[in-house]
Amino acid sequence: MFKNKEQHQIKKQVTQLNDSMHVSKDVSDKYNQRPKKWIYNMVITVIIIFAVIWTFFSSGITIRNVDFATQFYYLWRGFTHPNTSFLFDWSKGGVPYLTLETVAIAFSGTFLAAVLAIPFGFLTAKNVVGKHISKIGELLLIIIRTFPEIVLALVLIRVVGMGATTGALTIGIHSIGMLAKLYAEAIENMDPGPIEALDAVGANIWQKIKYGIFPQVIPDFLSVALYRFDINVRSATILGMVSAGGLGAPLIFASQSWNWSNMSAVLIAIIIMVIIVDAISSKLRSKLI
Amino acid sequence: MLATKTYTLRSGAKVKQPFNKTYIVALIAILLFVASGWLVLQNKGTLKLNELGTILKQLFTPTQSDAFNIHHTWKDYFSYLLTAEIREALLDTLRMSFVGSVVGSVLCLPFAILCSQNIVKTKWIYVPMRFIINLVRTMPTMVIAVIAVSLIGMGPLAGIIATSIFTFGIMTKMLYECIEALDMGPFEALQSCGANKTQAFFYSIFPQLLPTYIGYFVYNFEINVRTSVVLGYVGAGGLGVIIQANMDGLYTRSRVGAILMLIFVIVVILQAFTRWIRGKLQ
Repeated sequence: MFKNKEQHQIKKQVTQLNDSMHVSKDVSDKYNQRPKKWIYNMVITVIIIFAVIWTFFSSGITIRNVDFATQFYYLWRGFTHPNTSFLFDWSKGGVPYLTLETVAIAFSGTFLAAVLAIPFGFLTAKNVVGKHISKIGELLLIIIRTFPEIVLALVLIRVVGMGATTGALTIGIHSIGMLAKLYAEAIENMDPGPIEALDAVGANIWQKIKYGIFPQVIPDFLSVALYRFDINVRSATILGMVSAGGLGAPLIFASQSWNWSNMSAVLIAIIIMVIIVDAISSKLRSKLI
Repeated sequence: MLATKTYTLRSGAKVKQPFNKTYIVALIAILLFVASGWLVLQNKGTLKLNELGTILKQLFTPTQSDAFNIHHTWKDYFSYLLTAEIREALLDTLRMSFVGSVVGSVLCLPFAILCSQNIVKTKWIYVPMRFIINLVRTMPTMVIAVIAVSLIGMGPLAGIIATSIFTFGIMTKMLYECIEALDMGPFEALQSCGANKTQAFFYSIFPQLLPTYIGYFVYNFEINVRTSVVLGYVGAGGLGVIIQANMDGLYTRSRVGAILMLIFVIVVILQAFTRWIRGKLQ
């Protein structure tokens, strides 16, 4: 009896083992039937490599006949010895004032855009104006977004004159494109429940906007505007290159005269400014959400 | 406005209305706006509003001048876009952004791994790596292009360097955030089977990452096309060179307008293309 039981157990184990073997055979069969995509991947890789090589050789890349070693030596020496008298010059032409001006350009531009983008955002949201008008709004926003910032600054310089005001206006107009698009998305994602509830208790349109719409969209709007402020601090440094105020002007002058120590002073200012602004805005954004 | 109301409920309990911070935030924002606006207005030129119409007309209508006997038609306006000069510049722009995106997104792979907390568990590696990447990301593409132009001279190579450094910075950040959000189950399973970290990465993380990676690549390519359009303004090749050369001339400004329309069409096509690819990847 006992032997019989043991035999039975062994038999059971063997069948289990056979079963598992059977399964593993199934798995290996399936593995052999796996989609063979290596040809497809190979073709794509080869195409990309060829495109890169072709691009390198066809774009007529020319390297100026310069002594690279000396050039890099000057670069290294300039960057390790920033022009400290320029970096700590507290007058109007010095780096600290220009950095402050850059942040001011970015902030006032973003504020303008954040306010101006609200009507655009509502006019582009599908749940406010319907599908057809929203298409027109979207097209308008794409036009604003694709108009290069520098060209816009060049146009505005003719109108407002050189200076930081032009930079702020440029950023204010250019940022509407992105801000209004993201505002519209926030409005479209709004929960209609509170508005219907306010409707049901007889609120008028202003009360509906104040208690139903604003509390829902304001955090989104603020976080989008802060995100855009990050981007705008960077672009405010660029706008100076076309003499629209800020740090860009000394940067481009230094680069054109190969004054590496002045350039590194400006770059240090840019790095510190961007890191501080990023830290502040990400902290504020994490508080909002 | 700032005082909080206290309500007495029917049960006798008193409930304080929570303090509304919106007004204070708005007040601070407005004060900052006034301060920065004041600072900005310190540095302003003379306002000439009538110039706006003039310059927009010069940009977006064919050039007309009796003095120089130039009477262009709309056909002349748009036929400029078909010249070899524009074709070459446009190709340069596309090449610059393409090569820059490829180089940057290949370079970013090892750095993204070194930055991600769940693969490299040593704090001494990923914290300094992230700091370096953050330093790289603070530089606007234009600023890198300025440095590159003054180092290696004008031409598309400077643009390629600028776009690849920019792509490198942003791709590394996006990728390591993506790696950290991945499912680490397969990775641990492979390691427990005896695979080393590299093998485990290529067979568990990489397949999960690939669609996202391609999506980010395409997204970066789109950004790079937009930025490299104007990179030429500082001498880094592409359409920007032509914009810079023609912007100051009174009778060549219409070319800039035509180029702007070309840019608009390209960006719209590119956006549709990237949206299509990203839709396919999901």
